[in-house]
Amino acid sequence: MQLLDWLFKVPNGTAAVTAKDRMRTMLVHDRLELPAGKLEVLEEELTAVVARYFDLEPDTTRFDLQQMDRKAALIANFRLVRSKC
Amino acid sequence: MSGRVIVITSGKGGVGKTTASANIGVALANTGASVCLVDMDIGLRNLDILMGLENRVVYNLVDVVEERCKLRQALVKDKRMPNLNLLPAAQTRDKTAVDADQMKKLCEELKSMFDFVLIDSPAGIESGFQNAIAGAEEAIVITTPEMSAVRDADRIIGLLEARKDEITQYRLVLNRLRPKMVANADMMGVDDVLEILSIKLLGVVPEDEDIIISTNKGEPVSGTDNTRSGLAFRNIARRLRGEEVPFMDLEAKNDTWVTKIVNFFNPVRV
Repeated sequence: MQLLDWLFKVPNGTAAVTAKDRMRTMLVHDRLELPAGKLEVLEEELTAVVARYFDLEPDTTRFDLQQMDRKAALIANFRLVRSKC
Repeated sequence: MSGRVIVITSGKGGVGKTTASANIGVALANTGASVCLVDMDIGLRNLDILMGLENRVVYNLVDVVEERCKLRQALVKDKRMPNLNLLPAAQTRDKTAVDADQMKKLCEELKSMFDFVLIDSPAGIESGFQNAIAGAEEAIVITTPEMSAVRDADRIIGLLEARKDEITQYRLVLNRLRPKMVANADMMGVDDVLEILSIKLLGVVPEDEDIIISTNKGEPVSGTDNTRSGLAFRNIARRLRGEEVPFMDLEAKNDTWVTKIVNFFNPVRV
């Protein structure tokens, strides 16, 4: 069984996977010429806007820049509890 | 005749641009095409050494541009193949010795004489690189699977994309792949790099000690049989000529049954 695990394992935490993850993050920022810290500011401001319309489940907001071909996608995920309107 | 002008570039230095230029040039010439290799690394001339032609350089690219000689006088014919020529860089000048317009004019003239004009770009993204791509219609981006080389390649791809009108196609050569380290997940493999860079693959060249030997002899490895890197460069040349050449399994020999199974799930290609 151990041999099978070894053969079929998804190589998480290996040097190759770490390198690929670091590269993805680095290149998304490089391509957008995004200065460090700006994404965090945007996250704060966007969350504040959404929070005017909805009660948000605390500490669940996820904010992510992902690679889509050679472009980037901003993925924001807010967990909504109820409308404030 | 109107040949193809292809620039070979990488951003980062030391990833194998000049080696690739020499080998792809030799391999293309072996298919019967007429080829001119242009060394654009002005001030740091090296392509002549890899070709074993360093003793036969009389005039150089800057002499041509500054009209001290005719283009034909500066071309050095390869001693093995008369259809392979080198236009050497100047060793005593620097990157400011030519400008983009002069390069465009030179490339126009060269492509009327040859099927393929391969331009070996200097490292960096400054004027030397800008001049090297000025007259090109296609690009080959070289990288190794290391993070710094991939990052620099990405920057180069961005700069090439910005010139889509002039440079209509660019493809990747992944150089110095170590199949065993990839199989052990110790370094990024072909698919990882392709996914990160979102670029089409032209070829994969395995790390190979024969490259060092062939450089020392001044005989590019693609001109000889029996080396994996030579075969990889010959495949690249055939793909450049429009042939569909399947990517080959790099880990075919000296395998145990365990590595064979692992490689089945992580195929490595040339």
